[in-house]
Amino acid sequence: MARKRFHEQLRGLIWKAPVTEEVDAELRFHLEMVTRELVEGGMAPEAARAEALRRFGDVESVSKECQQLGRAEQREKRRAAWLSELLQDLTYALRQLRRAPGFTLTAVLTLALGIGATTAIFSAVHSVVLRPFPWASPERVMMVQETFRGEPADMSVGNYVDLKAVSTTFRHLAAQEFTNVSLQEGDTPERLSAGRVTHDFFSVFGVRPQLGRTFLPEEDAPGASSVVVLGHGLWTRRFGADPSLVGRSVRIDGASHTVVGVMPRGFDPTESGEELWVPIAFTPTQRAEHDEHYLTVVGLLAEGRARAQAHAELEPVMRELSVRYPRANPDRGISVRPLAEVIVGDWNEQLLVTLGAVGLVLLIACANVANLLLARGAARARELAIRAALGAGRMRIVRQLLTESLLLGLLGAAAGILFAWAGIQVLLASAPEGIPRLDETRIDGAVLLFALGAALLASLVSGLAPALRAARSDVESVLRQGARGLSQGRDSLRAGLIAGEVALAFTLLVGAGLLVRTALHLSHVPPGFQPEGLVIAQVGLPMARYESAEQVTRTFERVLEGLEGAPGVSSAALSSQVPLGPGGGSNGLLPEGRPETPDQLINSVRRVVSTRYFETLGIALKEGRRFEARDAAGAPPVMIVSEELAARAFPGEGALGRRINCCEAPPNYAKEVVGIVGNVRTRGPMSDPGPEFYLPLRQAPAKSWDWIDRTMTLVVRRSGSTADAITAMRTAVREVDSTLPLSGITTLEDALRASTAASRFRTLLLAVLGIVGLLLAAVGIYGVVAYFVGLRTREIGVRMALGARPMDVLRMLAWQGLRPVLAGLVLGGLGAAWAARLLQASLRGVGPADPVALAAAMALLACVALVATLAPARRALRVDPSQVLGEG
Amino acid sequence: MPAQKDRLHGTLDALVLKTLTGGPRHGYAISRWLRERSGEAIVVEEGSLYPALYRLARAGWIEAEWGTSDEGRKARFYRLTPEGRRQLQVEVESFRRFVTAVSPILFTA
Repeated sequence: MARKRFHEQLRGLIWKAPVTEEVDAELRFHLEMVTRELVEGGMAPEAARAEALRRFGDVESVSKECQQLGRAEQREKRRAAWLSELLQDLTYALRQLRRAPGFTLTAVLTLALGIGATTAIFSAVHSVVLRPFPWASPERVMMVQETFRGEPADMSVGNYVDLKAVSTTFRHLAAQEFTNVSLQEGDTPERLSAGRVTHDFFSVFGVRPQLGRTFLPEEDAPGASSVVVLGHGLWTRRFGADPSLVGRSVRIDGASHTVVGVMPRGFDPTESGEELWVPIAFTPTQRAEHDEHYLTVVGLLAEGRARAQAHAELEPVMRELSVRYPRANPDRGISVRPLAEVIVGDWNEQLLVTLGAVGLVLLIACANVANLLLARGAARARELAIRAALGAGRMRIVRQLLTESLLLGLLGAAAGILFAWAGIQVLLASAPEGIPRLDETRIDGAVLLFALGAALLASLVSGLAPALRAARSDVESVLRQGARGLSQGRDSLRAGLIAGEVALAFTLLVGAGLLVRTALHLSHVPPGFQPEGLVIAQVGLPMARYESAEQVTRTFERVLEGLEGAPGVSSAALSSQVPLGPGGGSNGLLPEGRPETPDQLINSVRRVVSTRYFETLGIALKEGRRFEARDAAGAPPVMIVSEELAARAFPGEGALGRRINCCEAPPNYAKEVVGIVGNVRTRGPMSDPGPEFYLPLRQAPAKSWDWIDRTMTLVVRRSGSTADAITAMRTAVREVDSTLPLSGITTLEDALRASTAASRFRTLLLAVLGIVGLLLAAVGIYGVVAYFVGLRTREIGVRMALGARPMDVLRMLAWQGLRPVLAGLVLGGLGAAWAARLLQASLRGVGPADPVALAAAMALLACVALVATLAPARRALRVDPSQVLGEG
Repeated sequence: MPAQKDRLHGTLDALVLKTLTGGPRHGYAISRWLRERSGEAIVVEEGSLYPALYRLARAGWIEAEWGTSDEGRKARFYRLTPEGRRQLQVEVESFRRFVTAVSPILFTA
């Protein structure tokens, strides 16, 4: 009964006779019958017709009412039919899948692998790049920077004040200075990252404090009372999340500060890890100072204003400042970029490249499943032919088969989400530090939606071609010959899928190969110093107690004296910045003899170092001498330059004995180059060495202590254990000032490893993806060759019976299997070129068209393809000809 | 008064369904049968009969199919579905209860 009704519904669907016609025909019939009845009763035809119409009433409106009802009925029936068909397809598909558990498991696991990997990486991309920042209007928050010769740079107070005075495109324009402060609560003083900010800093992000308030406008003026806003982390860690802390006072850098507010968890808008904020108070002198560029400026665009408008407004002002202060602002421009873009930076592109790579893996998985479905379609050709003969339309069969692959896709997605969950845990555990917001990666609605989308795409990609192919097959010939008649010998669709798979896997492998070669190269790049056994830590002197330059120098020297000869220390030094460590600073250098114009300045990294710095770090002395005790205050000013700087300052001439102007006013403006040392890769092996110069600690320009926040890095080459070295550093510092905390204690070996961690992580990720792709491709090749061999078993039997040698047969089969692999390699060459271009920025010591990576990928794929081809082919040779022939 | 309209609808529906218990009929046959059976007392207006037929079809109580009439003309025949048969029973039962309830009031002095 139900079947019959279903059939009728189906016919109704296909026919879809217009309701209008039906109703009209029906009413016409009725009227004619009534007319005929009246005529038979003796009326004249004309009159009878009129009478029939009169009796009926308003034909028009009855017809309309009936049509409306009829159309509604048709709609409902169509919907019901669609639903019942879907349900039918689903139960049928489920039954089919249950009947072939091996196929189902293989397909589902393959898809799960592809979907899982893609989803895991997508969740990371989503967390880091796509998810909006937790600010009120993230799209309106801009980072405003000066540019120096096109490169974004920090801003000077004078420039900030002048820009802020004219800007109308920004609702708020706030400045921040990164600093370190000592928190003196309880027994152990602690060194913390802090932000010195203008009062409206918090308004830029529109984030309200969790407790209390943020700063008032009068609080960032000089001489205002000392207040502080704490970060959520510090508040819970050091103060036990005590809500009554607001209004109480804490000691920071030796001065009492009133806690006015606590920010909510996760408030770290510039991703720099500040734990507290204090108001920045610019003195009139600072407000007129245009030469010291150290402010980070963020702004909230006014409602309806765009980034381009802000840029257009500020650019001429900056140009004017450049003209008005040529020494302080040479070659300055302005850069306005969304802060989110600045923070996410390169990760955006790097993660998208990775997402592209997992997408390739998903496509390979799809190709495999498509191949499985094709094989199944061939095996089921008979069943499908019978269904077609029974009247199921082609679309109906395509739909049925697509439902089956959709079900596979959904099962794959379900398993894939489990894989993704596990993958995210591994990702989070193994990912390097410093990827912003990665730690917030989780499976949420957007990620689930993505997995579902990936599943739908995978079902469609893998199911469409096999379904169309199966529905197209010639019903009669299949029924006559049985399944065997189908796709004898060549099968271009399958070969095409294999070629595609190989091309994708090749692309992945070349990409992975390039990154592996980069990693190998980086592990051999000489950093310019000897990191083994070096331990570093920072010491900062609070300005309140160490104001004069002499005082600061003297204190650091005393710390160093305490360290030298301490147990566990073979050599010790101090520097304003060590390789891979925090701190920094640069100056514009003018080699003596060059005209004093901005374009002659060489921007060079500055280091203030103690005498034994080069010995301690193992930096090679190339020419001249190191710093000595005689390079003291009052003695002739000297500097040591890196080879890179020497080459740039005095190209083609010796630098030794020449003079370079920098950093101070005369008479200390010109400094004699007394030594040339080897280049150092300050930011790790990924970075190229730039020009650098060194000044002796005792000749440090007085102003430089303000530039570097009175913070120096202690560096010790240990003779014993690392712990001994750390103890020695603590003791040496405590003996000079027991309130001074040590911070950032690490070894340079660790720091070196960390500097390449991100690059190694990506390499590992891409290598794993490459291997997964390779394995999937191998499985695909094996499956197809085995299928071909299976189809040709009979033919092989005949050939062998006719005397063909096994080698000939093997060669024939191998050729058939390898042909699409070769086509894939050619196609993959294009993919590889594309991948190499995407990766170019991440490559070091290896060109994008690296022959080694290309050859290795090709050889690997060829080997895997050969094994996957020969294994089933060899099995075919064991076929007993008599048995095969007897079967036929 | 919607209640009265429902009553009338219900009655008409029940009558149409009842008509079809004898087998498939087309619209004209239904109206004729109703007229003859009630001794011309009930003349269902064609204007309400046809919308009623479409309504019943939509409810799934009857099904329409094109066939050939006794005179050899193409006509739309209506047939009772199992759901329609059940519905008729419900209607008849409800009408019986109505009459039982109303009779003692209306027919006693």
